[in-house]
Amino acid sequence: MLSPYRVLDLTTERGLLCGQILADFGADVIKVEPPGGSPARRLGPFYHDEPHPDRSLYWWAYNRNKRSITLDIRRKEGQTLLKRLLAKTDFFIESDHPGTLADLGLGYADLAALKPALVYVSITPFGQDGPKASYADSDLVILAASGPIVMTGDDDRPPLRISVPQAYLHASAEAVIAALIANHERVRSGMGQHVDVSAQQSVAQATQAYILSAPFGDGGATRMAGGLKVGPLKLSLAWPARDGYVSITFLFGTAFAHFTKRLMHWMCEEGFCDEATRDKDWVAYGGYLFTGGAEAVADYEQLKLLLERFTKSKTKAELLQGALQRGVLIAPVATVDEVVGSEQLAARQYWQEVKHPELQTTIRYPGPFVKYSETPLAYRRRPPLVGEHNREIYMSELGMSERELTDLQSKGVI
Amino acid sequence: MAHELPLAGVKILDLMWVMAGPAGTRVLADYGATIVRVESARRVDTARTLQPFFKRKPEPDNSALFQNVNAGKLGISIDLGNETGRSVIHDLVRWADVVTESFSPKAMKAWGLDYASLRQIKPDIIMLSTCLMGQSGPYARFAGFGNLAGAIVGFANLTGWSDRPPAGPFGAYTDYVSPRFTAMAILAALDHRRRTGQGQYIDQSQGEASLHFLGPALLDYTANGRVQTGQGNRDPGMAPHGVYAAAGTDRWAAIAVTNDEHWQALCTAIERADLLRDERFNTVAGRLAHQDTLDAAITAWTKARDPFEIEALLQARGVPAHAVETLHELYTDPQLQHRGHFVEIDHATHGKITIEGSRFRLSRTPARVDRAAPTLGQDNQHVLEEILGYSEEKITELVIAGALE
Repeated sequence: MLSPYRVLDLTTERGLLCGQILADFGADVIKVEPPGGSPARRLGPFYHDEPHPDRSLYWWAYNRNKRSITLDIRRKEGQTLLKRLLAKTDFFIESDHPGTLADLGLGYADLAALKPALVYVSITPFGQDGPKASYADSDLVILAASGPIVMTGDDDRPPLRISVPQAYLHASAEAVIAALIANHERVRSGMGQHVDVSAQQSVAQATQAYILSAPFGDGGATRMAGGLKVGPLKLSLAWPARDGYVSITFLFGTAFAHFTKRLMHWMCEEGFCDEATRDKDWVAYGGYLFTGGAEAVADYEQLKLLLERFTKSKTKAELLQGALQRGVLIAPVATVDEVVGSEQLAARQYWQEVKHPELQTTIRYPGPFVKYSETPLAYRRRPPLVGEHNREIYMSELGMSERELTDLQSKGVI
Repeated sequence: MAHELPLAGVKILDLMWVMAGPAGTRVLADYGATIVRVESARRVDTARTLQPFFKRKPEPDNSALFQNVNAGKLGISIDLGNETGRSVIHDLVRWADVVTESFSPKAMKAWGLDYASLRQIKPDIIMLSTCLMGQSGPYARFAGFGNLAGAIVGFANLTGWSDRPPAGPFGAYTDYVSPRFTAMAILAALDHRRRTGQGQYIDQSQGEASLHFLGPALLDYTANGRVQTGQGNRDPGMAPHGVYAAAGTDRWAAIAVTNDEHWQALCTAIERADLLRDERFNTVAGRLAHQDTLDAAITAWTKARDPFEIEALLQARGVPAHAVETLHELYTDPQLQHRGHFVEIDHATHGKITIEGSRFRLSRTPARVDRAAPTLGQDNQHVLEEILGYSEEKITELVIAGALE
């Protein structure tokens, strides 16, 4: 649905998802890699655990639907060639530290002078300016600087990250929104602009507004395995089942009381709580927890024991089945194999089989992020091999001669 | 003169609630879309009941979350269960470019507000439905919150220590991921409609969208059959890599040695030339094999120091490091302050409140964040009179019919 647009994707391992999303939307995304391939191709895990630039699963995960060319943009000839590609380019995406591309004459001001309509997207850890703009960074560093990990993990251990790096994905997805807003404006004005995306600010969304605790005059919350500590309350969302864990939205007050009531009825039917407990006022219980002092805390802890006995008596599947039938808020804590085997995702034909002919295999990829009725998103290309489209793009599309291409290849520019 | 915002003229009728949906349209409001948000006294928005609260008081206009995801939107109260109320919705559909909703599939159909019906009213309407697991399949009617989708699609089990039960990520994780896909799906559909005149229906499963944040782990299973699990703060390609105890109670600093240069700089900073000379630690493979030893050596240095001192000393040598900031420290983080991340705006009942601003900057047409989230029905008069052109008489009839509750 964005097929009229061309994107030059110069991102490092930080910004790859941005270009992939635009490519999934149908844009012609050209991944510009240094000769020998992007450093992101060295990131594991690898297909069959064989380290190889064309077998990085990290690369596969974030480069579907793109084409690849190699180009050494540190060389004069490379910079000239990149500027030639700019003529038919609508979006330029990069994720180097602030100033890196400007030092090569490829900063926003340089390229906007050549093409004022260009939307130039920069994805950085902390944004283009400010006291931490040139900080050394990593996923973990950004998570420490933006809030989510201070509320994650067991209370007797260090704050904890999700084991699949997330910070740059938040920034890359935010960058897509920013780029499309700039594009919407360009349709009216004919002018592009510089889009400056901060990973720190993007990740702050994952605090669920707890980042506003100070200006709101609220004490906030602290971490606890499977839940959250708010004042003296230990709110648990994770519960043990017979064969693993489940997540339960076991909360109270107007928004949650009807769900909790149904859960208590189920527990009571099966003898895990008495009728008096079942029939508590679950709307008022929310307020009681925060004003009832030690007695309320003790009552809630007692309640948690009853619920734990109940969840431990059933499998994850039994709990989910009952939840679906009864309108109760329980979900299995699924392992990766269970996610891939999910009946729900199968029923929606979510997974996409993508052919990798050079490996004589087909790999199952996560499917489109939304379903469009008129313009369904399509997986047209497996992630590209290093420089796979050099000839196609430099010769057929840019009009370079065979000799010119060979010459630039022998010089190591391509 | 103030610039015209990029999305000026884009009109959205927003029937979404709680966090995932509203966070997706908030960013569109920042950049100029007119968003009419429908609430009802008959069904209080859950977000209004969630912490943190203004001065710790749990009242409907005090939730930081509600304020944060609904700033810049117009608020109208309509009872969707009321037939007259639904006639107002029909008029708003005629006005809108986009309709968004997060009810169960059954509810929208029962009210005659499903895509097939709205299309009769406005053929080129763009309609987006978002829910936990999508409009079809055995879990289609699975109501719930982002902690549940985060568990179903694998985030919870990928967050934890290898010797403990999964800790899970903080809160309702898919509610922080899926709004991005909501916003961009609308923007792409608007661009397609501009070029072709074609509207369409968008079915968003918050779980499916969020799975794009687990790509490498999913492929490690589909390609290699390996089931990844939580590994604490360790990283398969970097060492040392962790959150280390600093001086003080529950104080921590994150340190990530992403290459050999960082390793050398770290050893120099913590004055451990002996580690630098030890050939076992020259390569990442060697360091990965001796992580416990290295973590102990680093902790011996960090636990005597303030987390901000650790950050400063290591960053001065180019080592990726950062204090784990507490929620209250985040508000005074010099980088967030410099970027204007926190924005103070007028509020109908609180005088002033502070919310988060735009998470990115557009150089020529920056966001404008200057209007607080609406109180219930705050903009009824404006929407009915100015946008829909209703007469005073007609508005009175709506009130009498109970349509605006």
